[in-house]
Amino acid sequence: MTVAAAVAAWAGAALIVLADGRRGLAAGIALIAAGFAVLAWTAGDWFAGAAVLAGGAVCAIQLLRSGRQDWGLMPPGSTARLISAMVGGILSLWVAASVTIGHGIPLRFASLSVLVLMAARLLQGQKALPVLTAAAGLALALAGASALGRTSPGLAPYLLAAVIAAGASFLPVAESRGG
Amino acid sequence: MEADLTLTISPMSRALLVAAIGSLALLLAFPPPKASRFALLMWGLAGLAGMAAIAAAPSLDLVILLTLAIALLHAALAGRRSLAARLRAPALAVALLGLGLLFTRLEGPPILATFAAVGLVAGLAAGLGVLPYIHEFDPEEITAASPIVWMAFLGPILAIAVVTRARDLIPSAAAAFGAMLIGLGLLNVLWGSLASWLTEKGTSAWHYSFMADWGLVLCAFGIQVPDGHAAALLVLYSILLSRLPLYLWSRQPLREKVQTDRPLNLLAAAMLAGSAPFAGFAARVLLLRGATQLYWPLALVIAIGLLLWLPPSLRLGRSLGQARGRQAVGAGVALAVSVAIGLYPQPILSLAGL
Repeated sequence: MTVAAAVAAWAGAALIVLADGRRGLAAGIALIAAGFAVLAWTAGDWFAGAAVLAGGAVCAIQLLRSGRQDWGLMPPGSTARLISAMVGGILSLWVAASVTIGHGIPLRFASLSVLVLMAARLLQGQKALPVLTAAAGLALALAGASALGRTSPGLAPYLLAAVIAAGASFLPVAESRGG
Repeated sequence: MEADLTLTISPMSRALLVAAIGSLALLLAFPPPKASRFALLMWGLAGLAGMAAIAAAPSLDLVILLTLAIALLHAALAGRRSLAARLRAPALAVALLGLGLLFTRLEGPPILATFAAVGLVAGLAAGLGVLPYIHEFDPEEITAASPIVWMAFLGPILAIAVVTRARDLIPSAAAAFGAMLIGLGLLNVLWGSLASWLTEKGTSAWHYSFMADWGLVLCAFGIQVPDGHAAALLVLYSILLSRLPLYLWSRQPLREKVQTDRPLNLLAAAMLAGSAPFAGFAARVLLLRGATQLYWPLALVIAIGLLLWLPPSLRLGRSLGQARGRQAVGAGVALAVSVAIGLYPQPILSLAGL
């Protein structure tokens, strides 16, 4: 179960890297939220998982409610994106499963891969929507990674991440005003 | 799962919040030409709220998430750059800080602690907007929406939050962390001061001068002795109480392309250059003393770097134009405050627990 959840989180991050359209981005953020929610639930953090799921769901629904609905998956010139999604996943898996030791390989893999891929998306993104969605994915991954600490992080990181993920999709995309 | 949250503010963060409040009060009392006091108050209070939230956050996880929330809200402001350009660098900072924090929690070979240090230093540099992650800068953009907010207002508190926690999180890589801060600091001292001197646009010159000051702060944080911390705090006070108000007061003369060499301009130049008896001088003395304790050739390199402040500071002082009325009084108050801190910095250092 935890392995499937971690793979779902990576797949969601890869979708955000590969997609430009609202449907693709919504599916990506929904997968990330579902992955981290299941990882929190399997660790016994029910409220934390619910918060992450709610934040991701609001972001995904908001993406699907407005604007032009398309997937925008792998538009021409996406080879570099595809390679970064694959290499990011493989490197994260290597670090999580082979370089590091101890329990919690799925959570380590999910956190590492989503953080790396969202950073890559932020650097690539030229339009507001993918960058905002990447920021939402980043918030969910940071909340998930907080559970890797030696002490319990409490509910605060999950709640804050949920608010950020939900709020990012409502931000007015205001542009260009000098002065 | 525990839901309780303990909020405490460290003495250094408290001292910086006091400086930020002082800076805002100075600008409200003596607003820049054509600036609305109400807008200044709103942006200032919003910035202070963000700073207080970061200062009071009980863990680095929350500091990073709060930084992301602030970055999103800041990017939502209408500026001249695209939203993606405004959000990219601060959000990348969040990702790098998050990766650094993640590596502090992984068990395995010792190299993981060094990776953590790299992530935290790179994330801090990206958040502040210093080399090698300079934020895209548009000289015509309103200050509230520009990268100056990160360099001169939110940056100081973020730096304190990251640097003070990093030493506890990666004790085995503390030396590498310090060395990276010093290296990055020297790079920014060199690049910031030369670019501030040689760039064509006056507003960009101010932007680079903030970067040069941050170079000193990073060097001071990297020198892990009490004198280094004291030097960092005094440079941050100079940024908040001297450089930021002078930058805002210079915006209108820069638009009008007015440059003057009156005594006030020369005094402002001396203050920006860190001459005696201003606060920057005390900071530089403490920095050199700390560097000498650590490794004396480093003090020599920093001392040579400090000479680079003179030409750009003269240029920036001239860009204040012919200050009259409220603006002249404001510049006088900023000079007086800087002299007071330079002559007797102990109350500020005591407030910061140093």
